[in-house]
Amino acid sequence: MSERVCTRCESPLEIEDLRCAVCALPTPVLTRGERPDETVAQILRCNGCGAGVRYSAEAQAPRCDFCGSLMEVEVPEDPVEQAEAYVDFTVTDAEAKAALGRWLGSLGFFRPSDLQAEAAVGGLKPLWWVGWMFDAAAAVCWAADSDAGAGRSAWAPHSGRFSMEVDNVVVPASVGLTAKECEILAPRYDLGRTSAEPRGHANATVEQFTVQRSAARKIISESLEDVARARATGHIPGGSVRNLRVSVLPSKLTTRHMAFPAFVLAYRYKDKLYRAVVHGHDADCVIAEAPLSWAKIAVVVAVVLATAALVVGALSL
Amino acid sequence: MGPWYAAAALDGSIHQSAALDGLSCEGCGAALNVASGERTAKCPYCASPNVVARPRSAGEDPTFVVGFVIPEDDARKRARAWIRSTWFVKTAFAKADVSDVRGVYLPAYLYSGSATVQYSAQIGENYTVTETYTTTDANGKTVTRTRTKVKTEWRSLSGQWAAYLDDVLVTASRGLDNAELEAIEPYDLRALRRFTPKILSGWLAEDPSRAVSECAELARQEAVEQVGSRLAAHMPGDTHRDLRHETTFQHEHGALMLLPVWVLAVKYDPQEPPVRMVLNGQTGAITGTPPRSWIKIAGAVVVLILAIALTVWMGARA
Repeated sequence: MSERVCTRCESPLEIEDLRCAVCALPTPVLTRGERPDETVAQILRCNGCGAGVRYSAEAQAPRCDFCGSLMEVEVPEDPVEQAEAYVDFTVTDAEAKAALGRWLGSLGFFRPSDLQAEAAVGGLKPLWWVGWMFDAAAAVCWAADSDAGAGRSAWAPHSGRFSMEVDNVVVPASVGLTAKECEILAPRYDLGRTSAEPRGHANATVEQFTVQRSAARKIISESLEDVARARATGHIPGGSVRNLRVSVLPSKLTTRHMAFPAFVLAYRYKDKLYRAVVHGHDADCVIAEAPLSWAKIAVVVAVVLATAALVVGALSL
Repeated sequence: MGPWYAAAALDGSIHQSAALDGLSCEGCGAALNVASGERTAKCPYCASPNVVARPRSAGEDPTFVVGFVIPEDDARKRARAWIRSTWFVKTAFAKADVSDVRGVYLPAYLYSGSATVQYSAQIGENYTVTETYTTTDANGKTVTRTRTKVKTEWRSLSGQWAAYLDDVLVTASRGLDNAELEAIEPYDLRALRRFTPKILSGWLAEDPSRAVSECAELARQEAVEQVGSRLAAHMPGDTHRDLRHETTFQHEHGALMLLPVWVLAVKYDPQEPPVRMVLNGQTGAITGTPPRSWIKIAGAVVVLILAIALTVWMGARA
């Protein structure tokens, strides 16, 4: 199949794109030769968080690995894209559980003292969450205040433009993990350890690309603006900068469908369940919720108030 | 603006489909399509009974469609709740029957393009100065004091700004104007689908009844407004003035699409024209111009004046 390219921004188009993922130009209708095979895909869709994972007839427990809700079989009308590269699992189940245990013991004074000892860690689910990794070129226009050329005010306005190229920027397509979780996990993967097939964990679930790439235009645009903002600082004269604004005109954006390893775990403390995510490459990266010790907080507040009262009393004598 | 709508025809066409009949409203000019054999006694937009058969137009096929998400019952409930929550509506309107709700696929153009802008502006950079002034203190003596004052230094800035413009939607219907469409936007265009005739099954669908050039002009106006607001947000400094810009639009494109709307033409008084309410069929956002009761408004003003007078009087007595 010949590669389809957007006539406005020269970005390669993908089969499922209704509009260009970069500039929103509607894509031409697929010709008969361009249509993917008419195989009917099946995915398991979670009723709770909406995540879609690959359907497996052997799956005995139709529970979502991300949130534990019931799943249903769905046959999507649009083509379902597959991950073309899988980042290998390098953290084992035992290491993931141990990492969560260490994390629970490192939370500081305001957490329950027995949190690490009493938390019952269970429900470990290894999975590959999905995201697009893109390379692009972009024309950037910037405007900002800096101290260069300042007069009576400490600031003077400046503007300029430059071209940039970006590589390996990850944009999450996961529905099961939150954007914040993906944002923390993404920079810590060793992209040199990827395979064409899932590797490193035999029982891990693979999330599906159930969000269209063109629907990610806003996220891609925001990611490019973040990169442009970071690079613009090298073009602005002066030492101090404020009010940096950028506009980005991307082109030639290419994406790879990637799958990234992580563990979703649950732990129970005093009859309440908490969710945790452990990185599949770097066990030191743990994202989780944890209870606060309200008794300790109350004691600290009481001590502070008592001290304040003593100080005021001493000063008034 | 050059020809900017998609030329490619799709496999299915509502224009060529034998399963649809053409109707035209003599009241508002809406050009409707209904399933063959299905007849509508009045126009969903203006409740005019003067709906006549017309030959099917052989125009452009829609490229995209956004499907209905809000069911009919929900649309009716939202309309009732909206009327209840609107202040000072005529009692007859508040009690009017809102059961006559019609789902219509509204034709609209989805515009996109790129804009390159050359701009110039005066950028205001604030700074503080300490001023000395004389005043009279509590004892009646003249004293010298200092105060800080924020002043603005104006500096010239010029530059270039470029960006893609997307998701600009303009109506292609004579039955529903652009202001009404803007009032119920946004539509979540992540739910965009390629048009197929089967999605219209059981629904009214309107053919474009505005000229492409007219829609292009509407889209260009919205694009210019979008550039203006985005450019203003691009300006540095504490404030700015005299922002001037010259915009070049390139690679403009308009795709005809169908948007889901629920329309209620509420007839509350035989002597008055029906009041139209329009509801976004995807998000439930609602707009309309309900008739106000001047008696209720006057009553509220009188009560407010009495309350203020009473407060002042009690204050004076105290």
